[in-house]
Amino acid sequence: MTVIILFGLVIGFMLIGVPIAVSLGLSSILFLLWFGDTSLASIAQTLMQAFVGHFTLLAIPFFILASSFMSTGGVAKRIIRFSIACVGHLQGGLAIAGVFACMIFAALSGSSPATVVAIGSIVIGAMTKAGYTKDFAAGVICNAGTLGILIPPSIVMVVYATAVDVSVGRMFLAGVIPGILAGAMLMVAIWIMARVKNMPKGQFAGMGEVWSSFREAFWGLMLIVIIMVGIYGIPGITGAIFTPTEAAAVASVYAFIAAVFIYRDMGPLKGAEGQANTPLWKKPQALVTAWFHRDTQKTLFEAGKLTITLMFVIANALILKHVLTDEQVPQHVAEAMLSAGFGPVMFLVVVNLILLIGGQFMEPSGLLVIVAPLVFPIAIELGIDPIHLGIIMVVNMEIGMITPPVGLNLFVTSGVAGMPMMRVVKAALPFLGVLFIFLIMVTYIPAISTFLPNAVMGPEIVTR
Amino acid sequence: ALADPAGCDAGEMVIKFSHVTNTDKHPKGIAAELLKTRVNEQMDGKACMEVYPNSTLYDDDKLLEAMLQGDVQLGAPSLSKFETFTKVFRIFDLPFMFKNMEAVDAFQASDNGQAMMSSMERRGLAGLGFWHNGLKQFSANKPLLEPEDAKGLKFRVQPSDVLVAQMEALGASPQKMAFSEVYGALQQGVVDGQENTWSNTLGQKYYEVQDGITETNHGVLDYMVVASVDWLDSLDEGTRDQFLEILDGVTKERNAAIAQVDADARQGVLDAGGVIRELTPEQRADWVAVMKPVWDQFTDDVGQDNIDAAQAINAQF
Amino acid sequence: MHAAPGESFVDRIEETLIAVILGAMTLITFANVVARYVFNSNILWALESTVFLFGWLVLLGASYAVKKNAHLGVDAVVDICPLPVRRVLAVIAIALCLVYACLMLKGAWDYWANFANLPQTGGRWFPLGFEDRFRSKSWYEVNDIPFPAFLGFLESAMNEGEAYEKLPRFIPYAVLPLSMALLLFRFVQVALKVWAGKLDRIVASHEVEDEIADVAERRGES
Ligand code: NA
Ligand code: NA
Repeated sequence: MTVIILFGLVIGFMLIGVPIAVSLGLSSILFLLWFGDTSLASIAQTLMQAFVGHFTLLAIPFFILASSFMSTGGVAKRIIRFSIACVGHLQGGLAIAGVFACMIFAALSGSSPATVVAIGSIVIGAMTKAGYTKDFAAGVICNAGTLGILIPPSIVMVVYATAVDVSVGRMFLAGVIPGILAGAMLMVAIWIMARVKNMPKGQFAGMGEVWSSFREAFWGLMLIVIIMVGIYGIPGITGAIFTPTEAAAVASVYAFIAAVFIYRDMGPLKGAEGQANTPLWKKPQALVTAWFHRDTQKTLFEAGKLTITLMFVIANALILKHVLTDEQVPQHVAEAMLSAGFGPVMFLVVVNLILLIGGQFMEPSGLLVIVAPLVFPIAIELGIDPIHLGIIMVVNMEIGMITPPVGLNLFVTSGVAGMPMMRVVKAALPFLGVLFIFLIMVTYIPAISTFLPNAVMGPEIVTR
Repeated sequence: ALADPAGCDAGEMVIKFSHVTNTDKHPKGIAAELLKTRVNEQMDGKACMEVYPNSTLYDDDKLLEAMLQGDVQLGAPSLSKFETFTKVFRIFDLPFMFKNMEAVDAFQASDNGQAMMSSMERRGLAGLGFWHNGLKQFSANKPLLEPEDAKGLKFRVQPSDVLVAQMEALGASPQKMAFSEVYGALQQGVVDGQENTWSNTLGQKYYEVQDGITETNHGVLDYMVVASVDWLDSLDEGTRDQFLEILDGVTKERNAAIAQVDADARQGVLDAGGVIRELTPEQRADWVAVMKPVWDQFTDDVGQDNIDAAQAINAQF
Repeated sequence: MHAAPGESFVDRIEETLIAVILGAMTLITFANVVARYVFNSNILWALESTVFLFGWLVLLGASYAVKKNAHLGVDAVVDICPLPVRRVLAVIAIALCLVYACLMLKGAWDYWANFANLPQTGGRWFPLGFEDRFRSKSWYEVNDIPFPAFLGFLESAMNEGEAYEKLPRFIPYAVLPLSMALLLFRFVQVALKVWAGKLDRIVASHEVEDEIADVAERRGES
């Protein structure tokens, strides 16, 4: 009962426009003062502990930074060119290329909204010019953008791994097959729709264009290789080099070098408007000045600001988690659910419902921090693999992002496409069906999620 | 199994015990559950214990802060976590300080060991008893038979100056890493090896991702049950004595079982297909020769008298 | 709608600080990878100093985000309310933020004070003066970051002359009361604006608001 009051406070505060972070933190404090006997100082300790005690959360600012360097530079543009060269000649090719580009960008970025902005701001306009309706274009990108959190790296996966203490590397691996599968399902759906509605078809520009666009995009694509090889190594050739957190930091440094010294889209070597970029040998001092250049500072600041707003939500969600634990709420919830005779199937349905509804109000990472510890003990008791549960949760978050009334990707797409929200909602609807089928598949076929991590890293150890 | 909510009654004094392991396989988790059962049976109406396992409430570092703050009453961090409070606990990290667990047990029961329990009282922490886990073994992604085999390897260690110095003495590179990433890091080769007790090696399945475990028995991984002085002082004498007596019983009972737990875990590693390498007396002497000089760096911290006492006890076993 | 960065001198200081902290975190972590993989060595204080910087970044940045209305929130309900209702909701919302900041400030002070050899405040939620007796924790050190020699004067000032091997905790923890005081200050500023009717909401609806504003701008130009 008391828990319902707590969640009532959280939701009530949010709906009247209190920042999510404050809603979470303040509700927890009030709950603690009312029902608990723990000190206010423990709240401050938990706030500090959100950063100091969770080494894995460090991956979040680093992946945000890497993604910022990559989008400030014109990497998205190059990825789109490569995607069009590969699949643009199919019926509905530009739309399929948009999905393909979202998948590639998702492998560079840890966030869905970031993927929508990077790809959508170019592709939606291009599709409209090529004769697609704006609604169709927005619907495609709005959906494909959700892959940002399913295809690794993923901020939401980092948060899940931290909340339930599983390996981030394992979660990332688990997202690979589902990510590719979801992307493929979207592409097939588009292709069928395109055949039925006779949508435009591009010209195949030949292998030459595929090759030259690949070369253009190469340095951006290398980031994916660095992250994957760095975390997992190449079997038989090299061991891994860094932990997922370190991979994120290395990715940031690499993205900076690629953007400033290779692509020269930003920084001291970037040519003025309409002029060619300066080669490094003509301006060797750039090796030093690049680190302090205005563009570098601006990218660091933008990434820092995003880190602040996201992490302030997560840190306050961790306060809520701490208060729930302190009052032994997860045990009570688990007990209630188990004594209600829930089997694995019913349990997963309930989890899906909680997340779909919760996703209406909450920023996905914050929601995960709260829900994961509540359902995790039950999942373990029911013999559900923690990694499988994690992927189910991520796919739910994806769907929450594109379902009305509130969905992160709906907002962002409406902004990027310059369309009213309700039109985006309608536009996204047909593809939402695809994601729902995908959710059911992922929920009931654990192997989609667990096959790759188990093959590479061995079965998950469950210690509780 | 799920820890069932204790459901404390009104008027009962709540004792929160926060720790970082599971509840049914790890020596510490088992002991904590036993303590909970006994307290809730024998002190029903007076006191009620709630156990928070798996770092769900606090990790060891934050536990001690929260204990001094009065937000948690009981914990059992590993001994190296007390370095911040007093450096005498470094004696348990010093390589080859104790011959076997019997010697560790006898040292902890001696005047020197008991003095250590109360050595943190000026900083607000009271030791209530040592809980055993066992002696540590090395493991790596290649066979470790001679100390030279460890040279150049990267070892994951706990944040402890002694353990860092120990790895450096071996010519190995100590690395710090989040606990949840250790298995993956060992498997993927981000780090090459680690050191741990049999129970932890079995529980974390490190044997799966290591070439083998070398039975070095080079260090101690034990815990101390602690409470804040202020909380203990706040209890009325009857309650406190009853509680400490129950705790003492659990401590003796579980510590007496540790040899069996350890042997079972060692056998468990073998049964699961793990490789265990035993050292010949000559090989072992080589490890001692390389690692023992680490003592000199920390003699001032742990006190020559404590070292002498430990060595005198070793001679009895 | 969205505030341009670097509008005032204080803005620029805050923004530079955000950039510098994030840059330092990245470089320290990167350096540790290089140390381990290339030189088979280590920087043992790298992880701990990075997570402290992480805490500073977010906690100090939280007040900047208040100033720039950047904190994430749900404005779907607020959007459909008529202006007078919106005003009332905004007043309630900012009042709740003030309550939050006050309680957090008390908690942050209570947590930090003993580490810094200072008394906690009395009272469970309302500070009723300072406690007259307390157990100092100024000896409490962090785990890995060595004590820098230039701070040697702190040993006599804070630790009864005993040497510190590692950085004492009151230094990194100081960010808590500092940042919560700043947060309270910024919320008060926003509250004044809300009260005067210059602001009808205090949240941003999603994390890429600025980027979308840029896209919209470009679309407007072309
Ligand atoms: Na991603
Ligand atoms: Na939604």
